[in-house]
Amino acid sequence: MKNIILSAVFLLSTTLASAQGVFDKFENNESVASVIVSKKMFEMMSKVKVDAKDKEAQKYMDLLKKLDNLKVFMTSNSKTANDMKSTVTSYLKSNPLEELMRMNDSGRQVKIYVKSGANENIVKELLMYIEDPSSKDKQAIVMSLTGTFYLDEISALTEKMNLPGGNELKKASKNK
Amino acid sequence: MRYFILLISCVLYSCSDNATLQTYFVENSESTEFFTIDITPSILKTDALTLTNEETAALEAFKKMNILAFKKDSINENKYKSEMTKVKAILKDEQYESLIKYGSNRNGAALYFAGETDKIDEFVLVANQDEAGFAIVRILGDDMDVNHVMTLFQLLKKSNVDMEQLKPLQQFMK
Repeated sequence: MKNIILSAVFLLSTTLASAQGVFDKFENNESVASVIVSKKMFEMMSKVKVDAKDKEAQKYMDLLKKLDNLKVFMTSNSKTANDMKSTVTSYLKSNPLEELMRMNDSGRQVKIYVKSGANENIVKELLMYIEDPSSKDKQAIVMSLTGTFYLDEISALTEKMNLPGGNELKKASKNK
Repeated sequence: MRYFILLISCVLYSCSDNATLQTYFVENSESTEFFTIDITPSILKTDALTLTNEETAALEAFKKMNILAFKKDSINENKYKSEMTKVKAILKDEQYESLIKYGSNRNGAALYFAGETDKIDEFVLVANQDEAGFAIVRILGDDMDVNHVMTLFQLLKKSNVDMEQLKPLQQFMK
């Protein structure tokens, strides 16, 4: 009995850990540009000394402590873009994420999904998919951010790190 | 007989010894396709400056910097690829943890570290560009932390840099 529980826990923990991993295949794709930031990096950055009076910087440092992984994949290739789209679709089928927002701006589609934590305001994972067939170098973008954070904290991060979809995210966190 | 044992143990030792970044640097430092440069903290000429406690601590934590670069040309395409694979395999070692990766397969950069996040022993930066080659930068220290690094960068701006140490780099770039 104990063994069964143990192996169940083990199985669960491995699937949880590798949930974000479905997108890793894009990392070695020739036509994909990526940005991957690990938990250790966030941890290290949060140790940078900032002026105690600078409230905004303080808030930013606090947020960094709550983040686990950031992965952004971009492609200029329409075939890879399709692959990204289907990977996102199948990921959403096997993982409980809810749609937060969907936008269509003259062909540019933005979809944002979240996985909530202990209560509805806490986000465990944020997944964004942007599709823009008219754009030359960014046909599709997948961004996945994991951790334990509040949604309204994230728009500050996307602004600071110049991540895609910052504006959309700002709107989405206001609507919530 | 004694020599024989010595020989065997030598062979065994070199076989069991997994490639480390250190041995990789040493092995290739003599090769003509590679270029190496070692930089010590003395590159920062701080004699004329009055250092704050933080600056002194940062300088003490920083031990040295080693750079190894592979210059790609028209005939060493395969070597470039196989060396990149070797480097990636070494960095997969559990001693190194990935911090940030940026770019595509063709050109990009990745930063790794060894140690703990507030007691860093080593930073490794790997940058590659398919047309130009790749470079590995090792920054070795003794219980470094992020604030040391930030202080060093500030210090770099206000102190004189000993260009003698960088001469080989300039020659390589030509």
